[in-house]
Amino acid sequence: MRWPHRYLLASFTRREVLNRYAGSAAGALWALAHPLALLGVYAFVFTAVFRVKLPPEFGAVGYTAFVAATLWPWLMFSEALEKGMAAVQDNAGLIRKVAFPHELVVFAAVLATFLVHGAGFLVVLCVLAAIGEPIRLAGLPWAFLLLVMLAVLTTGIAAALATVQTLLPDTKQVIGVLLALLFYATPILYPRTLVPESLRPAIDWNPLAWVAERFREVLFTGTGPTITDGAIALAAALALVLGLALFRRVSPHFEDFL
Amino acid sequence: MSAAPLIRLAGVGKDYPKIDTAARRLRTLFTLAFGGRDLPHFRALDGIDFSLLHGESLGLIGVNGAGKSTLLKILAGVVKPTRGTVEVNARISALLELGSGFHPEYTGRENIFLSAALMGLSREEAEARVEEIVAFADIGEHIDQPIKHYSSGMVVRLGFAVASTLDPEVLVTDEVLAVGDESFQKKCIRWLERFREGGGTLLLVSHSMYHVQTLCRRAIWLHEGRIRQDGNAFDVTREYLSWHEERTRGEAASERARDTSLPHLVDSWVEDAKGSPAATFAMGEDIVMQGVASVPDGREPVLLFGIVRADGTPVFGSHSNDAGFLAADIGNGRRSFAVRLAAASLLPGKYAFRAHVLDPEGLRLFDTRETSFVVTGESRDYGLVRLAHRWEAGRGRRDGG
Repeated sequence: MRWPHRYLLASFTRREVLNRYAGSAAGALWALAHPLALLGVYAFVFTAVFRVKLPPEFGAVGYTAFVAATLWPWLMFSEALEKGMAAVQDNAGLIRKVAFPHELVVFAAVLATFLVHGAGFLVVLCVLAAIGEPIRLAGLPWAFLLLVMLAVLTTGIAAALATVQTLLPDTKQVIGVLLALLFYATPILYPRTLVPESLRPAIDWNPLAWVAERFREVLFTGTGPTITDGAIALAAALALVLGLALFRRVSPHFEDFL
Repeated sequence: MSAAPLIRLAGVGKDYPKIDTAARRLRTLFTLAFGGRDLPHFRALDGIDFSLLHGESLGLIGVNGAGKSTLLKILAGVVKPTRGTVEVNARISALLELGSGFHPEYTGRENIFLSAALMGLSREEAEARVEEIVAFADIGEHIDQPIKHYSSGMVVRLGFAVASTLDPEVLVTDEVLAVGDESFQKKCIRWLERFREGGGTLLLVSHSMYHVQTLCRRAIWLHEGRIRQDGNAFDVTREYLSWHEERTRGEAASERARDTSLPHLVDSWVEDAKGSPAATFAMGEDIVMQGVASVPDGREPVLLFGIVRADGTPVFGSHSNDAGFLAADIGNGRRSFAVRLAAASLLPGKYAFRAHVLDPEGLRLFDTRETSFVVTGESRDYGLVRLAHRWEAGRGRRDGG
């Protein structure tokens, strides 16, 4: 992030956060309502209907807590990606009239999503801990670091997709479908160990699966830094560098397409 | 104050890619990302060279689609030129079109902070100026309403208030004066004049030649993406207006078929007081219009002369028989005549001298010839001619007593 533009980034982020819930009666509570409703549905379907049994390594962790630990990070990723890739078009009015580094609108969209859902995530984790789920609050700093890495990864991908989206409006539809598939391909509703052996290598190629597994580890079992953290950091840095490179290369021409 | 130009453009051009189909968009994306061959494009600007010095005031004029807005966007850094180099050594405050940089959902006040952040000001620095901006915009309690509920005039007021208060070195404005009401326009013009006197540099796009002449010392006429004329604001605006006048006149006067057995005009031209043919006159110079008519039947023709502005608006005309004038017989069935306008009071602009030859009864028009000429000079008078007048102290009441 460039220092001279810190006020602008702050202003954009503020605007993003406020705009999402501006004019609604319950305001930011809606930020919690959507994931909570999803969580309720999954908890009902998989504990009351399908009666999923978590493998023994999760000990006393209930299915609801199990899903919650990865559902919020997933929502942050998917929502930030959608908002981030649409950010250039959403701010067309500004981009066509004022000179500023265009990546700031992508950063602001991702940052705002992570701030809003990050707060919700924290509330949910505290509530789960309070009702007796074995959540290790000591793991929260690690979870925070994981969120930062996830945010960087999301920013990189969002920047690349925003570039493509600005020139090709179809991108949004494609990504919508891909995100729906990716949600089920990532071990969020199920632990990786329930996946048949033959399919596990496929999951190992999904960086979001690494992130999901690590969230459960730091929140439930409390394992410190692992090689996976390094891999996530590397993937995030790579995504950011490549995504921003593409974005910056094409962004001077955005005005032609808006 | 340095001698280096604040803005320097060299060979600047801008092509807009043609992106009407998905396939073209896809191709453009790949070309931009990975480099490649030329794309189908529309040339908005080409070969633009100029520099803007500290304290200069430049008006940018041209018809719609001439590339004025694109050029401003390049200067403001919003658009990257396809060719050429742009050098900007100043803090530019750009006011591009209506409501530039405003978020419609935000209130006027919130938009002030957004604009300040776009200029790199912190919230505290912005706080310090908000009241000044609100006072200048003078839109009352609307300042706390979302911009989307503003009238276009209010948006412009706020936009101008923000751009002017944020202390720019170069102010770039695009046709904003045209939207505000009379009193706000005057306020803007006063502010712009003070800004200029205080050493500020101004770049103004306007379709109002009056504004350009009042506020700018220099003007650039853009035509089809190129600079057609760059120079003194009065000269450039005059040329531009004449061009417009000629264009709107169209091809109204088609050539009349010539029948040499009938009276016709052999020649006509315009010359100065010393007798040398000229096409350009300073305001107030003598203008002599010369003509030669051929009268095969030898009868004395009636002559008519007229002066029209380049768009065909009549300025003045008169018959030879009203003055009892008889053209001089120069032999060979030809008559010569001239009309002298002593100290012509035509205002600067492009005009045409028309000579007509009629039958002796002054009923049938046989032939018309037209010669163009230009009157130069600086004048902020309106209309076609300067009428003799003087300003006096009024009497202050209507009745004669």
